[in-house]
Amino acid sequence: MRRVAITQVAQSPGVESRDNLMDFTYRVNKELLDRAGMKREEVDCVVIGSSDIFHSGFSCANSLDWDGAGAFMIEGTRAEDSMFAFIYGCMRVMSGFFDTLLVTAIIKGSENPDYDTLTGFFADPFYLRPVGMNETAAAAFQMRQYMERYGITEEQCARVVEKNLGNALYNPYAHVKKRVSVDDVLASEVVCDPLRALMCAPKSDGVASVLLASEKRAKKLCEKPVWLSGYGCSMDHFNPGDRDLLNGQLPAAASKAYKMAGIKNPRKEIDVAEICEPYAFQELLWCEKLRFCGEGKGGRLIDSGLTRMDGALPVNPSGGVLAMNPYVSRGLYRIIEATLQIRGDAGEHQVDKKVKKALAHGTHGFAGQCHSVAILEG
Amino acid sequence: MGRAVAIIGTGQTKHGRRNDVSYPELVREAVVAALNDAGISLRDIEGVVSGTMPSMMEGVSDTHLYFAEALGSVGKPVLKAETCGSTGQSIAHCGFYWVASGAADIILVVGSEKMFEGDGQATMTTVADPWFTKPFSAGAPMVFTMQSMEWIYRFGISEEKARDAAALISVSNHDNALENPYAHIHMKVTLDEVKNAMIITYPVRLLDVCPSSDGACAIIYASEEKARKICKKPAWIKGLGFRGEEFFYGESNKSIWPSATEAAKEAYRQAGIRDPLKELDVAEVYNPFTYQEMIFYECFGFCPRGEAPDYVLKGTFLKDGQLPCDPSGGTLCTNPIGATGLIRLAEAALQVTGKAGERQIEGARLALSHAMGGIDQFNGITIVGSEL
Amino acid sequence: MAKEKPKEKPREIRTEVFVPYEVAVGPTWSTFFDYLKEERIMGTRCSKCKRIFVPPRTFCPRCFEEMEEWVQVADEGTIETWSYATLKFYAQIPEPPFITVQVRLDGCDTGFLHRIAGFDLKDFEKVNRRVKLGGRVKAVWRKKKEGNINDIDYFKPIK
Repeated sequence: MRRVAITQVAQSPGVESRDNLMDFTYRVNKELLDRAGMKREEVDCVVIGSSDIFHSGFSCANSLDWDGAGAFMIEGTRAEDSMFAFIYGCMRVMSGFFDTLLVTAIIKGSENPDYDTLTGFFADPFYLRPVGMNETAAAAFQMRQYMERYGITEEQCARVVEKNLGNALYNPYAHVKKRVSVDDVLASEVVCDPLRALMCAPKSDGVASVLLASEKRAKKLCEKPVWLSGYGCSMDHFNPGDRDLLNGQLPAAASKAYKMAGIKNPRKEIDVAEICEPYAFQELLWCEKLRFCGEGKGGRLIDSGLTRMDGALPVNPSGGVLAMNPYVSRGLYRIIEATLQIRGDAGEHQVDKKVKKALAHGTHGFAGQCHSVAILEG
Repeated sequence: MGRAVAIIGTGQTKHGRRNDVSYPELVREAVVAALNDAGISLRDIEGVVSGTMPSMMEGVSDTHLYFAEALGSVGKPVLKAETCGSTGQSIAHCGFYWVASGAADIILVVGSEKMFEGDGQATMTTVADPWFTKPFSAGAPMVFTMQSMEWIYRFGISEEKARDAAALISVSNHDNALENPYAHIHMKVTLDEVKNAMIITYPVRLLDVCPSSDGACAIIYASEEKARKICKKPAWIKGLGFRGEEFFYGESNKSIWPSATEAAKEAYRQAGIRDPLKELDVAEVYNPFTYQEMIFYECFGFCPRGEAPDYVLKGTFLKDGQLPCDPSGGTLCTNPIGATGLIRLAEAALQVTGKAGERQIEGARLALSHAMGGIDQFNGITIVGSEL
Repeated sequence: MAKEKPKEKPREIRTEVFVPYEVAVGPTWSTFFDYLKEERIMGTRCSKCKRIFVPPRTFCPRCFEEMEEWVQVADEGTIETWSYATLKFYAQIPEPPFITVQVRLDGCDTGFLHRIAGFDLKDFEKVNRRVKLGGRVKAVWRKKKEGNINDIDYFKPIK
C-alpha cells in the first residue's frame, strides 16, 4: 500500500453562514487550494462527504456540491459520511491512480430542521419509527445503562461538557462559545431523560476540506505532511435491541486501526484524541472502548484530569462535537484538528506537549451503530 | 497502477414490483445470489459498499444502517457512495479502489432501490435547486427531452429519422428483455406501438421511457491472487472513468455531453482501447430514454457525432450487429435506480465470462458498462474483459 | 427465513415523510432577484474566461475564481431547446400543459431556464408550429414583483 499524507486543511466556522450551500462550499475549498498553491484542475480527484436529502433538502447532494468542490470535469465521487469520504479518498490515493485528492465535507445545519427529526428517518417504518426512535432516544438508553452498570454519575458526564466547551473558547471555528460549569449542565432542562440539554451537541454549519497526496507529491506540497498510519471501521446491528449498547463495534474499528499503525498501548502512544461525542457521556464510553482506560472507568478518567487540555492524553482540544456539530462533516473536523495538533498549528488551543500520534474518531447511527477510527502521525 | 482486480460473482433479484418482500429482504436476495455465484460465504467478505438513490425515494435515510444485516456487514467496514442515477457505477468504482489499494482482498458491492414505495419523480424534483430550476421542472422526462431536442437541432437530424431510430431502440430493448429472466418489463412491442404511444414530453412517448422498478444487484470483487484461486473465469476490470459537469443544466453543451465523452475517454485510455466500435464486443449503456441512448453512442465514440440514428437504423447496435448494446434489455426495461448502474456492470461481467444465458453475445471478451446521474450532470464508465 | 407464512398475503403500510428546510439564497442570487424587481436581467462575468453567467455565479465553476463584475444582458434571446409537458406528479410546481425552455439571452454565455406561455398551450400541434428551435423569445414581466424567478412571468415567442 502506498502511503497517504494530509498536506493542507481548511474549515469553516460552525455558526450560521449567510452564503448558500454552493458558495459556502466554494469559499473553504478555494482557501485550501490557494494555501496549497494549486489550481482546481491540478487536483486529480475529488471525494465529497455530504448527505442525501434529509440533511440538506437536496436529493443527489453531489449535484449541488460539485461546483463548490471544484470537481468540474475531474474524477470524483461522493460518500454519505465524511469519515467514509476520508477513508475512501485515502484508498484512492493508495491505489496508485491519483497523486492528489481533495476530500470535502459539507453541511448547513442552520437550514435543517432539528437533528432528531432527521435521525428519526434512520428508523425503519415498521418497528422503530412508530415508537419514536432517533439518535437522542437511543443515546438516552445507552446513557442509562452506562450509569447503572458502572456507576457513572451525571456529574462526571457534565464534566465532559465543562471541559469541551472550555476548550472551544480557544478554537476560532467552534460554534458554541460559552463557559459552563458542572452545575449549569445539571441545571439545564431534561430533553430525554437522563440526557439534559447541555449534554447534547448543537446543530452547526460546517464545510471542512483536506488535501491528500501520495508520498511523492506530499513533500513538494507542504513542509509538514501528516501521514495516515492506520484506520478501521465497523458496522453494528441496526436495531439497538439486537446489541449490547455498551459493547458495540468501536473496539473492532479501533483494533484494526491500532494494528495497522503498530500501536500496542493506545493510552501511552497516542498523544491527543479527537472523539465524536454528540452526547457528553459518549466521550467517556468511547474512551473506554478506545482503551484509554479500563472497562467502566470512563468516569474516573474525566475526574483524573488526564483528558484535559493540559493532561497526559488530551481529548477534544477543539471543543469536540459538543461545541460544534455539523452532522455529516463532524468526522472530517476531527481529522483536521488532529492534523493541526500534530503540525503544531492549532494556535490558542494547541496542546502543551509534542504531538506525534493523534487519533480521530467518527460515528453515526443509533447509539454508535457505525464507528470509524483513523490514526495520524507527524 | 494498483493491483489487478476482478469480479468473481454477481447476483440480481428479480426486478419489478416487489411488495412480496421488505426492502432489507430484497437487498439480501441479491447478496445471497452473488455469494452463491462466487461460491464463497459471508465470512470471506472483508468489507461492504452500499448505495441507493437518495433516501427520499423510500423515506428511510442512511440506508446502510438499516441494511446492516441484509448486507452481511455487521462487524465489518462499510463505505457508502451515492451519485444519483450514476450511483451503480460509483459504488462499483468504490469497491474497485478498495481492492486495488491493497486494503482488502474481497469486497462486496450492493446497489438497491424500491421505487414502488416512494415517489420517484417527486424525488427528482428535489435534485433541482429551488431558486432557478425547480419552478420549471417536470422530472426526468423533461430534462431528457430538452437534451434530445437540442441534439436533433444541433446536428440537423430530421425528426422523422430520429423518431424511427428511437422506436427501433425501444423494440430491440424490449425484445432483448424477453431473454433476460431478471428484467422487469417482459413485453413484445412493435415500431408502430412505440411511435403512437402516449406523449410524455414531446417527442418522448411512453415506450421511449424506462419503468420504475424494485430491485437489487450485488457484485463481488477480488484481488488478482484471490480471484485466480476462487474463480475459474473472473471478469477483469480494464478501465474506469467518472466525470461531472456544472450543476446548472444550461452551462454545458448537452448535445455533445462533455462528461459522457470524457468519462469514456478516460476508461478507454486505461483499457488501451483506440477504436471502441471495433474493439468492444458488447456495451451495457444506461438508457432510461431511447433518444438519449443515441447521444451516448456518439459520446462513447461508437459512431461520429450526429450519425447515431443512421447507425441504429442499419442495425449496428442490435444483438447480431457489430456492437450489440443492452442485450439485457437495458435500463429501458428495468430501472431500480440505485442498482441500475451496477446491473450494467454485472451484465457486462456475465457477457465476458460467458455466463449470460440466452442473452449471451457469443465470444464476448471486452464489454463496456455505464451509468448517468444528476440533471444530465454525471457519467461513469467501467470496462471489463475476459483477460487481464 | 422462518417457515411460517403470513396468513394473508404480505401487506404494505402507508407512511409519510415531511421535512421543512430554510434554504439560504446567498448574496449573489439575492442581488440577482433585486435586479429582477427592476426588470433587469443581470449576469456575472468571469474575469478569467470572460463568460457571462445567468443565473449569476459567485464563482466560476471552471476557473474557480470569484466573480465581481455584474453585466446586464437582454431580456430576449434564442431558444436553445424546449420541452412540452403534459404530465403532473406529486410535488411538481408547474401545472400542465406547460413549456419549459432554455433561452440563450442576448449577451449571455449560458442557457437560461424558464417557461414559454402567453397563448393557448392545450393543442400540441399548434404549439409545435409556434415554438421553434432557434426561434426568438422575449421576457414578459409580472406586474407585482416578489424578488424571485417568477418576476419574469414567462417568455413569449417573437418574430
